[in-house]
Amino acid sequence: MDVSLGVDVELDHREPRRVVEVFERFAAANGVGDVVVQRFCLALDEILTNIVSYGYEEGSKDPRIRVDFGLGDGCLEVRVEDNGLSFNPLVDAEAPDLALPVEERPIGGLGIHLAKNLIHDISYRRVRNRNCLTLTQPL
Amino acid sequence: MKVTASQSGETVIAAVSGRVDSVNATSFEQELSKAMEGGSSRLVVDCDGLSYISSAGLRILLLAVKKTRAQGGGVALCRVQDHVREVLEVSGFTRIMTVRDTVEQALDSF
Repeated sequence: MDVSLGVDVELDHREPRRVVEVFERFAAANGVGDVVVQRFCLALDEILTNIVSYGYEEGSKDPRIRVDFGLGDGCLEVRVEDNGLSFNPLVDAEAPDLALPVEERPIGGLGIHLAKNLIHDISYRRVRNRNCLTLTQPL
Repeated sequence: MKVTASQSGETVIAAVSGRVDSVNATSFEQELSKAMEGGSSRLVVDCDGLSYISSAGLRILLLAVKKTRAQGGGVALCRVQDHVREVLEVSGFTRIMTVRDTVEQALDSF
């Protein structure tokens, strides 16, 4: 990666917003286009919100969440790692049924769907008790 | 995030500005409820100033649609920025919500 930045994230519901703001500054400083920035902000927000809301059991010791942004080889890459409960959003998150009429649409369940559909490529690995999610976008 | 409410006939117009995410979605819900306190079941959400919405904000919009439709009314969105429109489309919300270009068209959609 030609340029990179890492952010440690606390287990706190306000953190996704802070990290998104850090990402916005990183992306702006490095000339990433608005559409990609907006999509990544949302995906990052949804993924982190999911982790801080559901990724850890109450009283979990030593939660470690880290986000790394990188630019290089014509790609933007965002990596999200956490040592919480094993969760592969690409497989474990149920896809919402978008064809349901409004009365039957469940409230919620859209966050991961948005991330998956707005980002060019997302991959997941479980490594040494950590969830590692990588979001990649050719620029 | 800020919600400024006004009334046009029997319809409430709520102009939303700023960002709606998981941190302030509850405030967004309270602001919309306050705007509808007069008993109206028709709501126009003017999204001209809305720069960002996450799934937490979409939940509140969906709740508002369910609630107003149950009362015989509905919700119409208007002046939606491109990024927010993309989020609505990917969520399937453009199929279940009225989205118009202008406030006038949104008012006429009821």
